[in-house]
Amino acid sequence: MAIQEDRRRITVRLTVLQVACVVVFAALGISFWLLQIVEHAKYEEMAANNHQRTLALRAPRGVLYDRNGQVLVDNRHSFTISIVREHTKDLDRTIRMLSEVAGLDVNDVHAIVAKHKSEPSYRPIVVVEDASLAQVAAITARRLDFELPDVVVEEVPTRQYPAEGIAAHLFGYVGEVNDAMVATDDSLKSGDLVGQAGIEKTYNPLLMGQDGARVVVVNSLGREISTLEEVPPTEGKRLQLTLDYDVQKAVDDGFKAAHTARLTNAGAAIVLDPNTGEVLAYASEPAFDPNTFAAGIDRATWVSLTTDDQHPLNDRAIQGRYSPGSTFKMAVAMAALEEGIITPDFQVHCGGSANFYGRSFRCWKPGGHGTISLRRAIEQSCDVYFYTIGNMLGVDKIHKWATLLGLGVKSGIDMPNEAVGLVPSTEWKLEKMHEKWYAGETISVAIGQGQVSVTPVSMAVYAATLANGGTRVTPHLLKAVDDGHGWKPVAAPAPQSKVELHPEKLQAIRDGLWGVVNGGGTGNRARVQGYDVSGKTGTAQVISNAGRVAAARSGKDLRDNGWFVFFAPRDKPEVAGVVFLEHGVHGPNAARVARHIVATFFAKKEGRPLPPPPTPADMQFDFSDPYGLGHMPGAPPPEEAVNDTH
Amino acid sequence: MLERRLYYHVDWAMLAGIFALCAIGLAQIYSATGGFTRIYYTQIYGILFGVFAMAICLSVDYRSLADKSHWIYLGILLLLMYVLFFGVVRGGSRRWIDLGVVNLQPSEFAKAALALVLAKFFGESRRGAITREDLAIAAAIAAVPLILIARQPDLGTAVTLIPVVFAIAYVAGMSMRIVGILALVGVLVAPVAWKFALKDYQRERISTFLDPAQDAKGAGYQQIQARITVGSGGLWGKGFTKGTQGQLRFLPVAHNDFIFSVLAEEQGFAGVLVTLGLYLFVILRALEAARLAKDRLGAYLVLGVLASFTFQVIYNVTMSAGLAPVKGLTLPLMSYGGSSMIATLAAFGLILNVRMRRFTN
Repeated sequence: MAIQEDRRRITVRLTVLQVACVVVFAALGISFWLLQIVEHAKYEEMAANNHQRTLALRAPRGVLYDRNGQVLVDNRHSFTISIVREHTKDLDRTIRMLSEVAGLDVNDVHAIVAKHKSEPSYRPIVVVEDASLAQVAAITARRLDFELPDVVVEEVPTRQYPAEGIAAHLFGYVGEVNDAMVATDDSLKSGDLVGQAGIEKTYNPLLMGQDGARVVVVNSLGREISTLEEVPPTEGKRLQLTLDYDVQKAVDDGFKAAHTARLTNAGAAIVLDPNTGEVLAYASEPAFDPNTFAAGIDRATWVSLTTDDQHPLNDRAIQGRYSPGSTFKMAVAMAALEEGIITPDFQVHCGGSANFYGRSFRCWKPGGHGTISLRRAIEQSCDVYFYTIGNMLGVDKIHKWATLLGLGVKSGIDMPNEAVGLVPSTEWKLEKMHEKWYAGETISVAIGQGQVSVTPVSMAVYAATLANGGTRVTPHLLKAVDDGHGWKPVAAPAPQSKVELHPEKLQAIRDGLWGVVNGGGTGNRARVQGYDVSGKTGTAQVISNAGRVAAARSGKDLRDNGWFVFFAPRDKPEVAGVVFLEHGVHGPNAARVARHIVATFFAKKEGRPLPPPPTPADMQFDFSDPYGLGHMPGAPPPEEAVNDTH
Repeated sequence: MLERRLYYHVDWAMLAGIFALCAIGLAQIYSATGGFTRIYYTQIYGILFGVFAMAICLSVDYRSLADKSHWIYLGILLLLMYVLFFGVVRGGSRRWIDLGVVNLQPSEFAKAALALVLAKFFGESRRGAITREDLAIAAAIAAVPLILIARQPDLGTAVTLIPVVFAIAYVAGMSMRIVGILALVGVLVAPVAWKFALKDYQRERISTFLDPAQDAKGAGYQQIQARITVGSGGLWGKGFTKGTQGQLRFLPVAHNDFIFSVLAEEQGFAGVLVTLGLYLFVILRALEAARLAKDRLGAYLVLGVLASFTFQVIYNVTMSAGLAPVKGLTLPLMSYGGSSMIATLAAFGLILNVRMRRFTN
């Protein structure tokens, strides 16, 4: 009995165990079904994230060429060192070790990492841009030893600009895109390098390539095992600029001579083809080295650039606003001629000063020029002549013709952040100052003083408009684009405005300008034998003479600004432009720089050897300020008048 | 010794299931370790020695083995004590006896030895139902090797001894009241054990299990990775040797504790069902052997052996899916490990033994 009972109990309890096993295994089966079928997609993605890395392959930006095919801005290979935190066990240890190996400051590295803390951990945090070969070698050795498995060295293309900051403002620079730009532009992503200034900014959409990507398989140590797929980066479009490297170099050499002569290290120059508006040279001094931005600018360099008294980051060529001085006189002459107020033979007697509205206005030349006609007045820069015809014109007609010639308006150059100058008018004064224009104010305007201000680029357009007979060409820098299927020329932008200047009236002004350089005028230092260089110097005061005395102790540079606007040859101009020397004392120094530019232009065109750059000795070292004084009402007479046209 | 007619009563179906599991395990070891490595060949030797051990356990009548079970039990205790003092240390625990060419892990053999000695103890009991004294004695018999193994420390293997006692005691007629009381005590003791009996790393493992994300890089890492491994397998898996989690070492000891995860990743839910089916088949066949056993001794022996096996399979599979705290428990028949393979196959030799001799006197 007991045995049978025993049997039955065993059978029952075995059945219980059997059922329990089946139930448990069924539960296991359901668990796996949930994980592998129901939640499969989620885990599949997690597994992919585990072992797949998408590495961005940075696309090189488009190469920039000059008009003759010479490379201006290229790309070079550089190395970046980054931390990938994904499998980092001890970030502090990694940072400490990396700093030690690469010779970095631990706190700096901590700060960089902290800045990117919220980004996904698989995205590399770039710690060193443009690493030295020694750093790369040291890191690579540690990586092979598995000491720094979470540090990666990547090769990236980096912008390379010409040395010595040639055309730095024209090229601009690149930098990491900011969050606001990413938010508004779908084609940009965080970490992209975009143009921040200059051509790099204007043509960023063309220059920026398409980044590639490499999907790699990594193991649990973060080591790459294989490549799953690779989309190579597409290089940005290559651009041919209108720039001529040799002319650009000539501008640079001119500024260098002025700098070496301790005349000035600041200024701007723009050289145009007056018939098309193509920019042949473009400079703003002092410049900076765009290469320091190419691989991420360091704080110290940035601070020194932004706090420099000379503001090297400012692009004086399009953003600087200066009084044009005597260079404004052609606009007044053109207005008087075209409005029919005078003929080229109109004469004025200059006795050294003249009275208008109860006040005496001086000519720069004590004793005066005597009876003088338009051509001579331009050549001699006679102030009384222009006071007189300016007074006859009225400010609004001056405004009209100055605008038609390109002053007081934007040039429309394909550069970012162009500033606009000012040629006053009655309307302007009423609108801005809610005041009536006084006729007496016109007298100062007539010689380019008072409220008149111009940007160097607008002065270049002004020169070009006088050179081509009334077409206000749009200065531009882009000549052709290569999108990978050969060069395609880019049409020149339409002129900003066009007016038919009467040839015989224009000729009178051109003759005057020719005389400035080739006759007895102030610009004879720009003379290039056989090329009929025509131009006008201008010397503009930075401060009134009364203020000068007061501010003399401040240590600021109060020397006058020197201008020279020019074109050549006189009758069939091929080149036009402006040279502006900030505190360059007076126009003739600028004229000397212009001579080198014009001489280089024609030598290159005709295949002759290029002229040697000007020496510092070629630059006049003159503080006597012969043309700046006496223009302002109430200013004391100059102690001596130096006429350098002898 | 092995009579010809016994040969006909060998459970060939269960044997086929066992060797199918061994083959699957071997294939996954090949995949997880990257080819014909030393580990792969060691596993083959393990299987061959295991078959040899199985044949020995098969050929000697289980009743005579049971008669000598106290000697086997004592022998194992001696080996366990030897291990405590002279064992080879690996990964912080002293579990192995260095035999020169191979390392032997006596704790793996303790399970079968305990099953034998307990089967004999309960099988010889003349009383209809078992008393508390019986239970106390059985518990003491189990406690000695359990403590010795836990001291190595190897809590995982030590715990596998507990199901042996319970299964035998349950089928031997432990009253349901005691089953209930023990369950209650277990619930009450757990927090106390949590506080006093567990080591820090053990507590950490369990708390991490409850919330793996709290320590995603540390103890929770393996658990999260196990779930990713299994979940990413899908229905048909990523293919043999094509698993990324195991191949790229995101999952540690893929050829050992986590072999089932690797299987799930590479062979998918389909492979999981086949493998789980094979295990269930083997277990049910073994339970059938217990039912058919000629005497109580045989039934208890089968159950005791089967209990630790089943417990270990269920625990390891659950852990492989990231659904249980990570513990160094291998998957019998599939995981890499010579001692485990030999001990497991020897234990199945005992089960076959009981079934085979159901008609003998």
